[in-house]
Amino acid sequence: MDFYLGLLQIIGVHTLLGLSAYVVLLTGQVSMAQAGFYAIGAYVAAMCTAMFGFHILPAILVAGLVTAFVACIVGFPALRVKGLMLVVATLAFGEMVRMFFFNFTWRIERGGELVGPNGAEGFRAIRFFPENGWETGDVTVFIWCVVAVIMAVLWWVDNSRAGAVLRAVGHDETAAQSIGLNLTAIKVGAMTAGGMIAGMGGGIYAHTVTHIEHLVFGVLLATFAIAYPILGGLGSVFGTVIAVVFIQGFLVEGLRFMGEWRSILFGALIVLAMNFRPTGLLGERMPRLFKPRPSESKLEPKGAE
Amino acid sequence: MDYFFFIDLIQSTVDGLLFGTTYALIGIGFTLIFGVMRKLNLAYGAAALAGTYIGLVMFLTFDAHPAIVFLASAIGSGLIGLVVYLCCFRFTPENYPMASLLASVGMLLFIDEVVIHASHGLPYPYPSVFRDAIIEIGDVWVRGDLLFVFFMCVVAMGILFWLLYRTPLGLATRAVSQQPRAAQLCGIDVTRVNMMTFGIAGVLGGIAGAMTAAAVGVLSPVIAMGLTVKGLIVVVIGGLGFIPGAIIAGLLVGAAENIFLLLRGVTERDIYVMLLLFIFLTLRPGGLFGNAQSRD
Amino acid sequence: MRLKPLLTALALALAAAPAVAQDKTINIAGFGASSGVVGIFGQNSGAAMAAAVEKINAEGGVTLADGSKAMLVTQYYDDRCNAEEGISVLRRIASTDAVVAVGPTCSNVAEPLFGILQASVDDSGDTGLQFPVFTDVAIKGGLAGISEWVFRNTPSEATMYDELFAWIRETHPDAKTIYGGVEEDFAHSRFTWYSVMKTAAEKHGFEIVGEAQWLLNDTNFSNQARGMRRAEPDVVAISAHPFTTCGMLREMARQKIEPKVLVGLTSSSSLETLTGCANEAEGIIIPTSFAPVNDAAKAAAEAVGAKGGALDLHSASAWENIMILRDVIEASGIEGTPESLEEDRRKIRDGLAALTEVNGLLGTNKRMPDGEAVKPYVFVNAASGNWAVLHNPGS
Repeated sequence: MDFYLGLLQIIGVHTLLGLSAYVVLLTGQVSMAQAGFYAIGAYVAAMCTAMFGFHILPAILVAGLVTAFVACIVGFPALRVKGLMLVVATLAFGEMVRMFFFNFTWRIERGGELVGPNGAEGFRAIRFFPENGWETGDVTVFIWCVVAVIMAVLWWVDNSRAGAVLRAVGHDETAAQSIGLNLTAIKVGAMTAGGMIAGMGGGIYAHTVTHIEHLVFGVLLATFAIAYPILGGLGSVFGTVIAVVFIQGFLVEGLRFMGEWRSILFGALIVLAMNFRPTGLLGERMPRLFKPRPSESKLEPKGAE
Repeated sequence: MDYFFFIDLIQSTVDGLLFGTTYALIGIGFTLIFGVMRKLNLAYGAAALAGTYIGLVMFLTFDAHPAIVFLASAIGSGLIGLVVYLCCFRFTPENYPMASLLASVGMLLFIDEVVIHASHGLPYPYPSVFRDAIIEIGDVWVRGDLLFVFFMCVVAMGILFWLLYRTPLGLATRAVSQQPRAAQLCGIDVTRVNMMTFGIAGVLGGIAGAMTAAAVGVLSPVIAMGLTVKGLIVVVIGGLGFIPGAIIAGLLVGAAENIFLLLRGVTERDIYVMLLLFIFLTLRPGGLFGNAQSRD
Repeated sequence: MRLKPLLTALALALAAAPAVAQDKTINIAGFGASSGVVGIFGQNSGAAMAAAVEKINAEGGVTLADGSKAMLVTQYYDDRCNAEEGISVLRRIASTDAVVAVGPTCSNVAEPLFGILQASVDDSGDTGLQFPVFTDVAIKGGLAGISEWVFRNTPSEATMYDELFAWIRETHPDAKTIYGGVEEDFAHSRFTWYSVMKTAAEKHGFEIVGEAQWLLNDTNFSNQARGMRRAEPDVVAISAHPFTTCGMLREMARQKIEPKVLVGLTSSSSLETLTGCANEAEGIIIPTSFAPVNDAAKAAAEAVGAKGGALDLHSASAWENIMILRDVIEASGIEGTPESLEEDRRKIRDGLAALTEVNGLLGTNKRMPDGEAVKPYVFVNAASGNWAVLHNPGS
């Protein structure tokens, strides 16, 4: 049972990572910086609990806010570049964050031991959960509560005007601008929201693994971050969740019996998926199942032009 | 120590410039593909690596002459490039770039794992030419093998320019990269051009991979990621879709990397390379020469 | 999707088991990276465990508390050198009838993994996992102290390098200076240079005339080698894994740097270094806790080879772990029933904690109170493409 609960924890945390990229992808920006935000959230939250004795909830919130702040700052220069350049710029940013933590050492004494990030050796003893009586099940519930709240918020945004605005920018910036949408505010806003979600996800991640180091937050993680929403489909938040379940649940754990071939199959399946369902598992429109009942049709074709 | 510092500076710059030609080649490869398809091929570094391994097989089983090994690496990468095109770019929708992006990521993981599986993750020696030759200019030692790398890369660029500017295929490629619709209307087979571009880019990548392995002397799967990241940085600094820009940027990144290593040590070196990238992005988003058709 | 039928089948099999099997089995799980770039470690450990289990079963198995015999079974789980996956794998193992797990192979999995275990036994406020882990390969210093459920059978690099530099001091009285080369971004190699090799060298009277740093996947070592060449050191110590070790050695050869003594990192005393650069690595001295220097070691090496693996200092620990666990199982009175699972695991932990000395392949391993080990070692050097024993303190 513990094992399934642990697996759900992993799925939950990765869903947060995926959702952070989802928000940014909606506006048409492919951001490889989410792993960097994840890292910032991880270190900040870990510092809060391990070094300053915070409870997990304020620690996660602080991590989210700090990361949102950084993401906001990153959002502005990101406006000047598009497409491939943005990919590279965000990738470079992610690597810079990683290199920063590679060099970052700050330890204080708590209970007779030095606690804190120790450069290349990482940050160990992030044991808020076991030390405070949280069982595996408790942590899983906590994680999924956070995920549920964030998904609910994103779902609500998706179905409101804000969602349409985000997607409008994603589909055609010029057209969006021409109807008076403020591109700067929208794109930076999306980046900030994505940063906040990634920061919270990273903060939780740090506590589920108890030890973090710079190598974890590399290009591969950044790639997974955008893989989840793209594989799942940008139609709705559920696409990302399904993709995470597919990758972490089925590909990583379910195919364990395949031994060495598991990793090879992984890449092959992604290639196949993109060829057969290029807009993702759940597609690029919200699946009919999840569509809220339209109170009034928004786009009634008013007869022939 | 000041004299030594000065010597070190010259030495770092020279080494960096020579080695930077490999980055330039990878940058050109990314640029070519982006030019014709307006898409990013993240599997490029892995394809280059895999091709280099094919050359390695020649070396290990047949004890082939280095020239054959390099040729095999280049051709191998070219063929793998074609496979990448077929798997990731041929059938994915034109107007949904994320699909091909993710497909190329999947391909990257796939190729990486196949290489690791086949080699058991062990590093293997790779033949290098003029390994022990050194040209001494005063206190500055110019590595013979790096000169060879430089020379090979320049030759590759020369052949590429000849292809692009003196052959019908090159003309078709340039046409497609400037105006895909119009090119199609003129009867140019865009699919064929794309395929050939991937193949050529693959060959360039294979040469870059082979030269990198030759310079280090050892081949291991870990070099794929570094090549990819550096290549991307070079493309951006050089200006998207602008080949001469990629060349200069490659040399610049190679030299800068080494100089930062000298000045700030290895733990901060990459931070400064990234900062260099950001400076270019903020001040000259169009790239080094600012004239890159900033379509996108 | 495939999980459900698999689980159903497993449930049916388990339900049927008591009716069918009178042969009791004790399950010792193995886990580590058996695929990917560092997959060779897990593959070798898995083979070593399989070979050891086969040997024990051939000799009759283990004796349980009630005097009956049980066969050992083992299965190897792949964690792909990923911390999250390692934790998931251990939880999966804990949900089976395994009484102990041998692993992991990667230090970056070990450190997080040990953190999710209960730190102190009988600390009811600590909800960490209660499952004994007996590590074979993950070698970064000081990790067993993280939890009382963790025991390691890895050599103490501090002791080995201390002895090595003492021996170099004796055999090369004219060697005065040392230059270090270190892979900065990998925790193990970094720790070993700064906290182990450097300290040992200084203690035995060597003067540190410089340090060169590089990263895991660097391809250009000219700057670093140049600094080394200028310092003209007598001894060069390289704390890095095979890929960059080979790269650096080639650069040193190119720049004609020829120190009197060349020292390497424990993990590099493996097949990888010889495959990558046997010529340049000629003469490199590495302390290791395994070499086939006696009959038992040779026999074990053969048995593991038959299972498709190689016995080196890492997988030899896995072999030894199985042998040690057999003795602990028999001494602790394990019952081996589904109901006694939690108690059995606790008994094994207590049994491991109580050990002060065990038999290893090269001699007696000391077991320390913090769960670490101090093992006998030899110095090997690369000679003509093979690792040959240079000095055997035990003989």
